[in-house]
Amino acid sequence: MADNEALRDLLPPPLVEGDVTPGLLDDQVLETPEQKPPKAWFLAFFVTSGMFLIGAALIGYTFATGVGVWGNNSPVFWGFPIVNFVFWVGIGHAGTLISAILFLFRKRWRNAIARFAEAMTLFALMCAAIFPLIHVGRPWFAFWLFPYPNERALWVNFRSPLLWDVFAVNTYFAVSALFWFLGMVPDLASMRERTKSKFRKLLYTIGSLGWRGSANDWKHFEMAYLLLAGLATGLVLSVHSVVSFDFAVSLVPGWHMTIFPPYFVTGAIFAGFAMVVLVLVPVRKIMGFSHLITDHHLDVMNKVILAMACLMGYSYFMEGYTAWYSQNPYIHHIFTKYVTGTYGWAGILTLTCNVLIPQLLWFPKLRKSIPVMIFVALSVTVGMWFERFVIFLVSLHQDFLPSSWGLYIPTSVDVGILLGSFGLFFTLVLLFARMLPVISTTEVKMDLKGAQPHHGEEAHE
Amino acid sequence: MSDKPVAVLALFPSAQALMDAVPKVREKNLGTLQAYTPYPVHGLDKALGLKPSPLGIMVFAMGALGATLALLFEWWTSASDYPVRIGGKAFFSWQAFVPVMFEVTVLFAAFTAGLGMITLMNRLPWFGHPVLHTNAIKAITRDGFALAVEAVKGELDVEAATAALEEAGGAEVEVVFPCTEKIPPGPTLQVFKILAVAAGCAVAGITMYFAIKLFPVLPPMADMEEQVKAIPYESSACFEDGMAMRPPVDGTVARGMLPMGPVTEEASGSVLVNPLAATTEVLAEGRERYEALCIACHGPLGNGKMSLSKEYKATPANFHGATVKAYADGRLYYAISKGKNAMAAYAVDLTPEERWAVVHYIRALQRSQDAPEEDLP
Repeated sequence: MADNEALRDLLPPPLVEGDVTPGLLDDQVLETPEQKPPKAWFLAFFVTSGMFLIGAALIGYTFATGVGVWGNNSPVFWGFPIVNFVFWVGIGHAGTLISAILFLFRKRWRNAIARFAEAMTLFALMCAAIFPLIHVGRPWFAFWLFPYPNERALWVNFRSPLLWDVFAVNTYFAVSALFWFLGMVPDLASMRERTKSKFRKLLYTIGSLGWRGSANDWKHFEMAYLLLAGLATGLVLSVHSVVSFDFAVSLVPGWHMTIFPPYFVTGAIFAGFAMVVLVLVPVRKIMGFSHLITDHHLDVMNKVILAMACLMGYSYFMEGYTAWYSQNPYIHHIFTKYVTGTYGWAGILTLTCNVLIPQLLWFPKLRKSIPVMIFVALSVTVGMWFERFVIFLVSLHQDFLPSSWGLYIPTSVDVGILLGSFGLFFTLVLLFARMLPVISTTEVKMDLKGAQPHHGEEAHE
Repeated sequence: MSDKPVAVLALFPSAQALMDAVPKVREKNLGTLQAYTPYPVHGLDKALGLKPSPLGIMVFAMGALGATLALLFEWWTSASDYPVRIGGKAFFSWQAFVPVMFEVTVLFAAFTAGLGMITLMNRLPWFGHPVLHTNAIKAITRDGFALAVEAVKGELDVEAATAALEEAGGAEVEVVFPCTEKIPPGPTLQVFKILAVAAGCAVAGITMYFAIKLFPVLPPMADMEEQVKAIPYESSACFEDGMAMRPPVDGTVARGMLPMGPVTEEASGSVLVNPLAATTEVLAEGRERYEALCIACHGPLGNGKMSLSKEYKATPANFHGATVKAYADGRLYYAISKGKNAMAAYAVDLTPEERWAVVHYIRALQRSQDAPEEDLP
């Protein structure tokens, strides 16, 4: 008997807590869009959409006046826009990692959080897309970035990392949206059958494409899902690598390093997981999903954050080592400026938030404490934003020629547009939480106890 | 046709019950078996005898196609259609083309997997499938497991199928009829889908048209287009004459436009000296300018005879006459610069160097029409 209990401790904890049946799952997850949101939701929506409107108004002000209202100036032409772009693209990476890479590794705890994380990927990419668009100065000509036959007979430069970025980010958005939507089709079919409103019935009927769940449909669906997961895995690793090429391919001291692609991908997953924790903790509490997104889920995500924090520490160390080993006075100079000089405080903040504070998660007790994980996730979000701030601004503000050194001081318009992007992100998260199935019920049902013939009993005995 | 049942369907309480029922019903061989489940049930496709999905091969083929097309396109634009040397690299620097190639490969492959699964494999969207209009569909999308015996070529033994399903443990047996209210699959449905897409496009287009009409796009960032600077022919309050353009300071000489100075026509022959040597290049330039400006009146041979001269009743100078032959180079130059008789001044059209080149060419013309014997080869 004692032996059995010891063994039970070694078994992985159950994916859902309590007695969850497929019907009960539907009643809970798919019922949300049918109900009127609570007052708190309207309050939150009011705040986030207000933030978004501030950002939108400031973008309007920028185009009425000119990009001179930003802090961007010689020598730092890439100011907040590039920092925000890389930050938001990075946030998106957690979603694809959870939905694709963890799917390939058969980490079944991902099923409950994959849908939400994928949605966050899409929303983060929408926020990211704002910044290159406004940074080109004339967004109505942004289509010039695509190779289309034109009256100038010119083609785009396929050797430019900035063009690679256009292809990478657009492909990433298109594939993520497809992955997200296809995964949702069976859930929309369930919602189609349970809704009583005629209008919603029409919407869900169109959205579910007439899904009927035949064995044949499922066979192709599973194959397509597996293939998409495999493709998205390659994609997610490539996108932030390509983003890092924007810097690594240049000759600017502090950017021209081979560690940049893995370093950026690690940072992206790190920031993304922090954002997922930050959003899921209140969501599971407010929507009452604590038995579906269990403490075990949060614990595993915190472990990923911890692992990524250690990898970030290694990357920072490696950057320093490369700087020292290069024997290059310019790289030495930039590296010392990360923690000294005008922007030194930002570098120290980065190290503290990204490497030191997440070390709290080594303790199992702290990993299970909601306030601690919120604190760590917030610190990682702040730290990862400032990491990009440090990498991009320090290298640009003092490069090879001391006569052309200068400072970058963001304006209130810069800060307001950043605030607006957060507003857009959380507005979309709020809308998603009330309108669509936030948990993939099909994927959760698949792995409930006794859901598969012969399968469940053997695994649990 | 529409009254004939297409399937008999029964519900089972669990995936296990469904799996147990499949071989029992299958061995009776009553028709095509199909199961409907709320989530993928492992091993069901094998039990039903379904063939594995061919999506993998399709995705591989389309991915390979995407890679090839991307690389070909990059080669064509960068090395063939409009080669531009960038960063000292080869026109076809394929290493730099890999990232875009990779992204296009993933794009092709992913959309083949996703849309191929929906449209080609599962024939969706289609809202008219009979099972969608059964009572069982509510359970199927929730927690019910259905097994259906479907008609083969419109033939189905309803009683036998019902008995077989009930025997295997199925409940709520239901006879499924084709859906009559909805549009049946086939050409009509395709036309309907195309019309729906067309209507959507039309609505979007009309909305966009009026959006642009009603909210004309203002020139944004007007202060970059309209700058605080004077441009030619603009008015300006700064100067007395009210013009932004300023005449050059008196005595200004434009580069390459040295004036002739105070020379009379008579003196020009001795004062002005041709600074150019009669080289092949100079003669070629002189010919080019002569044929552009002088030939209309003086003729290709310089004899003043041209079809146009009759119409004008003018008598352009014959360069082969004794008077012109006796002129020094300077006098010819003077005539070109200032004009002579009915001929206008050509100083505006010809730079001094071009005028001297034309003079050389006139000399060549003169010699060509009156060549001494030793000139002959």
